[in-house]
Amino acid sequence: MSLHAEHFSERSPLYRLHQDAQLNALGDSCIVSNYGAGDERARAAHCGLLDLSNLARVGFRGAASAAYLEARGYQLPAVPNQALSQADGSQVLRMSQAEYLLLGSLQDTGARVRQEELAWQFDDTPNYLLPRQDSHAWLLLSGTCQAEVMAKLCGVDLRAEAFPVGSVAQTSAARINVIIANLPLGELPCLHILCDRASADYFWGALLDAMQEFGGQPVGLDALR
Amino acid sequence: MKIMPCPLNGPRNISEFTYGGELNAMPDSATCTDAEWADYVFNCENRVGVVTEWWMHNASSYWFLAERHTGSDEILRTFDPKEVFTQRVDFHAPAQEVRS
Amino acid sequence: MSAQDRLPAPLGLLIDRNAPLTFQFDGKPLQGLAGDSIASALLANGRWLLSRSFKYHRPRGPLSMAGQDANTLVQLPDEPNVLADMQPLAAGQTVTGQNYAGSLDKDRDAVLGHFSTFMPVGFYYRSFFKPKGMWKIWEPLIRKKAGLGVLDLNFQPQYHDKAFLFTDLAVIGAGPAGLSAALAAANAGAKVLLIEQQPYLGGALAWARFDIEGQRGGQLREELLAAVESHANIRILKDATCNAWFTDHYLPVIQGNRLYKVRARQCIVAAGAFDQPVVFRNNDLPGVMLTSAAQRLIKLYAVKPGQRAVLLTGNDDGYLAALDLHEAGVEVAALVDMRSQPIEGRLVTALQTRGITCHSASTVYEALGERHLQAVDIRRISAEGEVAPHSTRIDCDLLCMSAGYMPVYQLLCQAGGKLAYDDASAAFTLSGLPAGLQVAGSVSGRHQLDNVLRDGSDAASRALLALGLASSSEAGDYLAEAPVNFPWPIFAHPKGKEFVDFDEDLQVRDILNATRHGYRDVQLVKRFSTVGMGPSQGRHSALPTARLVAKATGRSVSETGVTTARPPFVAEKLAHIAGRGFDPYRQTAMHQRHLELGAKMMPAGAWQRPAYYGKPEKRDACMQAETRHVREKVGMIDVSTLGGLDVRGPDAAELLNRLYTFAFSKQPVGRSRYALMTNEHGVVIDDGVCARFADRHFYVTATTSGVDRIYQQMLKWNAQWRLDVDITNITAALAAVNLAGPDSRQVLATLCSDVDLSAEGFPYLGVRQGKVAGIPARLLRVGFVGELGYEIHVPARYGEALWDALMEAGKAFDIRPFGVETQRLLRLEKGHVIISQDTDGMTSPAEIDMNWAIARSKPFFIGKRSVEILEAQPLLRKLVGFSLPSGSAQPLEGHLVLKGPDISGNVTSCEYSQTLGQIIGLAYCAPDQATPGQSLPIRVEGGAVVQATVVKLPFYDPDNQRQEL
Repeated sequence: MSLHAEHFSERSPLYRLHQDAQLNALGDSCIVSNYGAGDERARAAHCGLLDLSNLARVGFRGAASAAYLEARGYQLPAVPNQALSQADGSQVLRMSQAEYLLLGSLQDTGARVRQEELAWQFDDTPNYLLPRQDSHAWLLLSGTCQAEVMAKLCGVDLRAEAFPVGSVAQTSAARINVIIANLPLGELPCLHILCDRASADYFWGALLDAMQEFGGQPVGLDALR
Repeated sequence: MKIMPCPLNGPRNISEFTYGGELNAMPDSATCTDAEWADYVFNCENRVGVVTEWWMHNASSYWFLAERHTGSDEILRTFDPKEVFTQRVDFHAPAQEVRS
Repeated sequence: MSAQDRLPAPLGLLIDRNAPLTFQFDGKPLQGLAGDSIASALLANGRWLLSRSFKYHRPRGPLSMAGQDANTLVQLPDEPNVLADMQPLAAGQTVTGQNYAGSLDKDRDAVLGHFSTFMPVGFYYRSFFKPKGMWKIWEPLIRKKAGLGVLDLNFQPQYHDKAFLFTDLAVIGAGPAGLSAALAAANAGAKVLLIEQQPYLGGALAWARFDIEGQRGGQLREELLAAVESHANIRILKDATCNAWFTDHYLPVIQGNRLYKVRARQCIVAAGAFDQPVVFRNNDLPGVMLTSAAQRLIKLYAVKPGQRAVLLTGNDDGYLAALDLHEAGVEVAALVDMRSQPIEGRLVTALQTRGITCHSASTVYEALGERHLQAVDIRRISAEGEVAPHSTRIDCDLLCMSAGYMPVYQLLCQAGGKLAYDDASAAFTLSGLPAGLQVAGSVSGRHQLDNVLRDGSDAASRALLALGLASSSEAGDYLAEAPVNFPWPIFAHPKGKEFVDFDEDLQVRDILNATRHGYRDVQLVKRFSTVGMGPSQGRHSALPTARLVAKATGRSVSETGVTTARPPFVAEKLAHIAGRGFDPYRQTAMHQRHLELGAKMMPAGAWQRPAYYGKPEKRDACMQAETRHVREKVGMIDVSTLGGLDVRGPDAAELLNRLYTFAFSKQPVGRSRYALMTNEHGVVIDDGVCARFADRHFYVTATTSGVDRIYQQMLKWNAQWRLDVDITNITAALAAVNLAGPDSRQVLATLCSDVDLSAEGFPYLGVRQGKVAGIPARLLRVGFVGELGYEIHVPARYGEALWDALMEAGKAFDIRPFGVETQRLLRLEKGHVIISQDTDGMTSPAEIDMNWAIARSKPFFIGKRSVEILEAQPLLRKLVGFSLPSGSAQPLEGHLVLKGPDISGNVTSCEYSQTLGQIIGLAYCAPDQATPGQSLPIRVEGGAVVQATVVKLPFYDPDNQRQEL
């Protein structure tokens, strides 16, 4: 039986837009493997868009968050608005002096970061969990055209010379707030964009519209591997 | 469009920010006169010169302070409010205030 | 003339002689070439009359050939007011003239010109408003004659968009100065964006003549282009107009259907200068054009601009242009120099050897001809602006005029630059530019080609220093500049028609009349006479106007100044400003389920919410049915849009104490408490509930529209208070439903086993955490709609699954979803206010009977002092419930409540309640009208007054028994 997003109780806000795509299990949910038409790998290298909303992510904030995360084996960026890739492919984004955002790795289908969300206990230490998987959708804009695509939506200079690998920007794109991180997957240039989950349908459309002049289209996970 | 240097996010288009009014010390609401309170709530000096203002970076919900010249619109400095608000503020019942 | 009749190559830089294009003008089929503008193609066909002037319907032809005048505005089928000298010719294009009655050649309205004596400047202001009421009669007649072009109301909008473009250095203008600057900067490592309005690079190098031999411009252009076009650091935008300068070098650049929002770290304006017309009688006659326009026609389009020409000049460049015309096979009948002699003596010899007569210290006093130039009347200049009586008539079909150059100062003045006029050199200078903005070339008064190039590289050098790409900036030596402006190129004629402003048909006397009316300030002259208000925005009229006003008011031009230059530089379409348009919307996790269930959606801020489920024409029936279902069985509403804030930490209760009017320190864990927020003015701004899930954890709800603002204000306050607390906006992170109705407990019980749902175990206002259908949930017992009910909040990723599970479980209980409009009716029956619907920017807690929600013993909450001050004063109004019999006219929100002849309040909510069998509502009224049982006059639609009855709230279940089951 082929997978269907509604078989899972955890659902991406965008799952209906991938109705005809081939799906793959991802943690307690699923992700698009491919759309089954054209060379998605080439598309991803040029201008592709992937919905990663079902991949685990979680935030922590508070005076004790840095120590908490370090104790759990994470390396933390030294300054705000920087990201640091972990050995297992997870990413730690530093959002402010005392706030961190963990992005799950495709290598373990987000298992480690998902575990962080489950393991956290509310106690007296100033380390507060932020439900980023639920508050934000996660889109991945891949390929060499990414800066030009984003220039149509966003006032921050995202060209590689101004926004090198590991940079994080909290800004506005297509008139909604977004978090953008430049975190390539291997050789593939990738902007990871987190936007308000409730605005995901709107933002997905705005991105595809901006990608159109570059021939950009959605891609599945297979194209990244 | 003007660029605002955000202490957290660096220089950004000013459309990414929300103005939060002038930094204006609140009088002790328990002891001040009605006139003093009304002056604080309703009046603004609107003077030409360097003023300190609240600004918030929308995407990060980060509040900071900016020194801006209202004549030239030049932003001279932006900084974290911790520079001004160095410690916890507490309010006390007016009766205690009178006694102390 | 057809494509074959063009001047020989290498003339015709822009055209492709092998690509003829057929088009139509005013119904006649014509041929042009690819690369032509509409205007050049028309002139190649001998068609000079392109439009009729705005006021007098005078025949007009091309003036600048560079898009700087309104003479060439033509109509395309789907677009009016297209500049024919900028618009590329397209195959099959249908072009018509504008602003005429009958035909362009025989315009019936041309007769208006004969009445010009009776239509003096300020005519409209002074003639049509007296006696009172006359404007109403005149307006439709004037409207019919006013305006240019015809809108195609069936046009299909095209896709327009915007894009940011980031660069180290923006160079505006790709003439010799711009090319030189771009190259110097790029060579030093700067990323350069070179912006050129025309479809070719090189500016005047492409069409002007810089020496007697006529070789230098073309050679230099080729050298510069070879370097610039291949440079990896230079991005070229041609056909691109930088339409403004905004703070911090933010430049809107229009290219095609896109508006680039250029953000440059440094900026060099090398925009050049505008050739200036001479003001004399009939200087607007087709066949009279700027000298540069004739040169553009020859060099860019290989179009011979006339058979027999006269040149009228105020500087040496006119002599060089005469050589261009001569070489293009135009018979140059005379060169008329307004000065006594040229600065470069060799020019006279050069002309004489070619048999061209020079008239010095002379001017054209009048252009003769009906629809096209036939001859000019040449006179000796006897004094400033005056001529000798002796007249020399020369037959010609082309008059090239140039009085000098006006810097393209528009962007620079927008940037704060101050324009000063040097009366000695009759030229403008600029000062006071902001940091990072440089000027180069003729815009900064450099006209000698070597100076221009040097100026470009020097400007680049200054920019490089600022960019940190050079350690010092050098400034070279410059050759002396000869004057290029003739100081008084204005020759008034007793019969008038010496046009100062072609767009607005303003003659010398119109400007002088304005000063006689007392308008001494050039800004007031502009507003009174409309000079400079037309499409060309004073490019040709600002200088003569300044000179005329200066002279008439006995001042210097420096004292008079010119009018303010504001964006945009050229007319821009609203489509460019709008771009593709971004209109964000937010959808809850259950959004698709609502659509599948046939919900009528309504906006709530950016959110889309179900109003009710059913067809709009059945609104009332749907609402009543949904209401009855909630009252009698069980209903479910998506309340995900409700604001949600987690407040955590040791000071969580203390923070809420300060933000909300109630006290929260002693609130038990597992309970919720109503939370009302006032601002510093004591005005009610938001409400919600504070649910205490742990000693240090409150979950606070806020209104859908208010939560973002409330969250920001909380952060701002705590940036000052420094309380040990974390505030998180989790609105989008939680999906939520309110399961309400007598059967709601039973529905929930089928899905929730880890919470004691009994009335004792989970009473009204209790809050719990547990699992619903296996999904981690926050459960709140609330009473907003006045029935037993549970708000169930879950992580958004599970929202749809939760909805599905509850709908499935509710089947046995005949569950039915209900929408926002139904919820509003339900809560109205319970008399609950909705903040911002039933409150406004003045509402104090006492006015809405919320005094019970204020903890007065607290030392502080945000609105405390103001609330106290307000409470010490008499109440001015009160929100009350009212009812009307079911058959009565139903008041709408906003309808007025009356007290005698006065307005005492307004209706804020009103709906028919089937439950109660009457119309119920909330309204503000005077305090002495607020006693239950009193009659409340409300003026409804159409002006009728209905007598409502004040009712004690709530309307429904006054003892609140149902919600506390």
